[in-house]
Amino acid sequence: MTRGNGWVGTILRVNLTDGTIKKEPLNMKDANDFVGARGLGTKYYCNEVDPKVDPLSPENKMIFMTGPLTGTAACSAGRYEVVSKAPLTGIIGAANSGGHFGPELKYAGYDGIIFEGKADHPVYLHIDDELVELLDATDLWGQGVHPVTEAMEERHGKVRVATIGTPGERGVLFAAIMNDKNRAAGRGGMGAVMGSKNLKAVVVRGTGGVKVANPEGFMNEITRARTMLREHPVTGAGLGALGTEVLVNMINEVGGLPLHNARDGAFWDKADDTSGERLAQTYLVKNQGCFGCTIACGRVTKIEGRGNLDGFGEGPEYEAGWSYGAACGVNDLGAIVKANFICNEQGMDPITLGSTVACAMELFEMGAIPESDIGFPLRFGDAEAMVKITQMCADGEGFGNVIGLGSYRLAEKYGHPELSMSTKKQEMPAYDGRAIQGIGLEYATSNRGGCHVRGYMISPEVMGIPVKMDPLTTEGKGAMLKTFQDLTALCDSTGICLFTTFGIGLPEIAGQYREAVGSTETDEEILLKGERIWNLEKRFNLEAGVEKDTLPPRLLREALPSGPAKGKVNELQTMLADYYEARNWTADGIPTQEKLDELSITY
Amino acid sequence: MLVKFFATYRQIAGCKSCDVPAPGNVLALMEALSKRWPEFRNLILNEDGTDKGDDVIIMVNGRHIDHLDGVATKLTEDDYVAVTPLVAGG
Repeated sequence: MTRGNGWVGTILRVNLTDGTIKKEPLNMKDANDFVGARGLGTKYYCNEVDPKVDPLSPENKMIFMTGPLTGTAACSAGRYEVVSKAPLTGIIGAANSGGHFGPELKYAGYDGIIFEGKADHPVYLHIDDELVELLDATDLWGQGVHPVTEAMEERHGKVRVATIGTPGERGVLFAAIMNDKNRAAGRGGMGAVMGSKNLKAVVVRGTGGVKVANPEGFMNEITRARTMLREHPVTGAGLGALGTEVLVNMINEVGGLPLHNARDGAFWDKADDTSGERLAQTYLVKNQGCFGCTIACGRVTKIEGRGNLDGFGEGPEYEAGWSYGAACGVNDLGAIVKANFICNEQGMDPITLGSTVACAMELFEMGAIPESDIGFPLRFGDAEAMVKITQMCADGEGFGNVIGLGSYRLAEKYGHPELSMSTKKQEMPAYDGRAIQGIGLEYATSNRGGCHVRGYMISPEVMGIPVKMDPLTTEGKGAMLKTFQDLTALCDSTGICLFTTFGIGLPEIAGQYREAVGSTETDEEILLKGERIWNLEKRFNLEAGVEKDTLPPRLLREALPSGPAKGKVNELQTMLADYYEARNWTADGIPTQEKLDELSITY
Repeated sequence: MLVKFFATYRQIAGCKSCDVPAPGNVLALMEALSKRWPEFRNLILNEDGTDKGDDVIIMVNGRHIDHLDGVATKLTEDDYVAVTPLVAGG
C-alpha cells in the first residue's frame, strides 16, 4: 500500500516468541506528531514498553523505523533508526544508520518493524515485498557481519541486510547492528538487544516506491537544498574529499582532542599522523556515499603490506579515528584503520570500544588492573596491544570480555568509576568539554548518554555554523544547545542525514518534509516536533531512572594542562541553569507540566 | 612564525606547514600567502583585498580570529597560525 505522503502506510509487528507476523496500519496521528524514525520509533516504544524493562529480556521490544523522507529523492534520505532501551545506559537508545537498508524496507512496503519477545532458536526475518517470514539462522549464528551479509545475498539475491556479529550474540553492551556491511546503528548496544532476541538478521528486498504529497513542490525544495549542499564548502567539497577525519587537525588546533583517556589534556603533537589528510595519502581507496547522498563522506580503505593489519573495508570516521588514536595514544594509522575494520566486521561501536581500551590503558598504567588480568601490558601508545585487545573483545576471548562491558563497568570493577569518560554510562566522543564548553553541556544533557550528534555544538563553537560562538565561554550555550537538540531530533526523524545540516538549515529540512507529507505547518511548528521528541525521550528516561545531568569529575575539576584552553575546566553548572531555563524545565532538569501540556505529551 | 595548512589548503601549499616572517597582522599574512601561492588568493581573499569570511578559518595560537581581533589580529614571531577551509565532520 502506497499512501502517497512520504509513508507507505504499514508497520510489521513480529513476535519472535510465537513466530506470528502482523501487518498494521501506521499510526498517522503519532507520525504527524513525532515525524518518523527516531521520534516515531520512540513514541511507539514508549506506548508499548515499561520503562523499567530489562533491555536484554524478552519483555523488551526493538523497533526499526524509517522517516517520511527515507527512500525519497530528498537530500541524503537513506536513514533509519533502531529504538529500544539501551543495555549500555539503561535509558532510551536510538541508533541511526545510513546505507541502503532503510529505503529498501520502505520499497518493500513497510515503514517500520516492531520486534517483540524472543525466539527459541536463532532466526532471521526475510522480507520480499509482501512475503514476510522468519527463517532458521542456526547456520548463521557465530558468524561475522560480512559472511552473514554475503550468505544472505547468495541465498536471497539482491537484498539489503542488517545483521549482528558475534558480540551482539554474546550481549556485548555496545554491540551494533550493521547494515550494508559497514553502516552501523552503532551506539548504546542495539546489537545486544537484537542478539538477546535470537534475531540474527533482517533481510529485505523491495520493489515498490515511495510517493510524496506534492511532487512538484517537493522537487523544488530538493533542488534548492541540493544547490546549497553543492555550493557549501563542507558538504560540497570537504567531506567528500577528506571525510570526517579531516577534523582531527582542526579540533587538535583548538586544544580539544582528548588525549590518553583525557588524562593528559587535549592537544597532541602526533595528531596529524591520524588525520584525514594522512588517510587520503595512505589507506584511502575512494570515497563513497549512502543512498541518495551527494556528500559522500564514506571512506573505502585498504591496508596492504602490514601483515596482520592487512584488510579491506570502510572508515574510520573521525570519532573512531580519535578513540583508537588520541584516546589510546596510538599514532599508527594502519592500526587505527584495522581496529575500525574489526568493529565493522563484528558489529561493535568503535567510540565506546576505543574509549574503553583507553580507560583500561590508564587503569593499567596506574596499577589498578594487574597485567595478569589482561595477559600482556596495555599501555598508551601500544598499537599492537590496542588491536589485539580489540580482536579479543570481538572474539569474546579473555580480558576482551571485560572490555565488552564498556568503560563505566570496567572502571567500576577496578575501583575507579570516575575514570570512565562517559555520561550516563555511554562514552563521550572526540571533543573535550573543557576546551569546547558547549559540547560538555551537550554530553551532560544528551538523552542517550555521551554523544556528539544530539545537538553537535561543535558546529557553532568551532566551525561557526550557523553563528560563531567562542568555545571557551558559556554565554548563550544553553539556548543554542536547546535549539540544536530540537533540530537534530527533527532531522533524525525525517530520515535524512544529519550531515546535511552543515549546508542546509531548518527552512530546507522543513520544506522537504512539508511537501512530502502534505503539511501546511510553519517551520517553527515543525521544529516544535523536535522539541516534543526531546521531551518525550527525557520523560522516558526519568521513568527509567536516569542519572543526573553531569560530566566525569575529570572534566569538572582537572584543568587542561596545555593548549589554547590551558587552565580550563568545564563550567557545567552555569550552562545547565541556562539550558534548563531555555527548555522551560525545573532547576533540577525536569520537564514542567506546562511544557508537557504545550507539547501535548501525556507520557 | 609557523603557519600550518589543513585539509585541501595543504595540497595547495604542498606542505603541512612553513615558516614565514611575521607580518603585522592576519590580513597581511593572507596577502603574503597569496603572493607565495597565487592559488590561495581567490580562496582566502576577495578581489578588493578583504578577507573571505566564513568559508575560511584562521586560527592564531588555536583561537579563531573572530574571537580575537579578526583579520586585524596582530602577529609576532612567537605566534602560530593555522589556515584551513571550512571543514566539518563528526
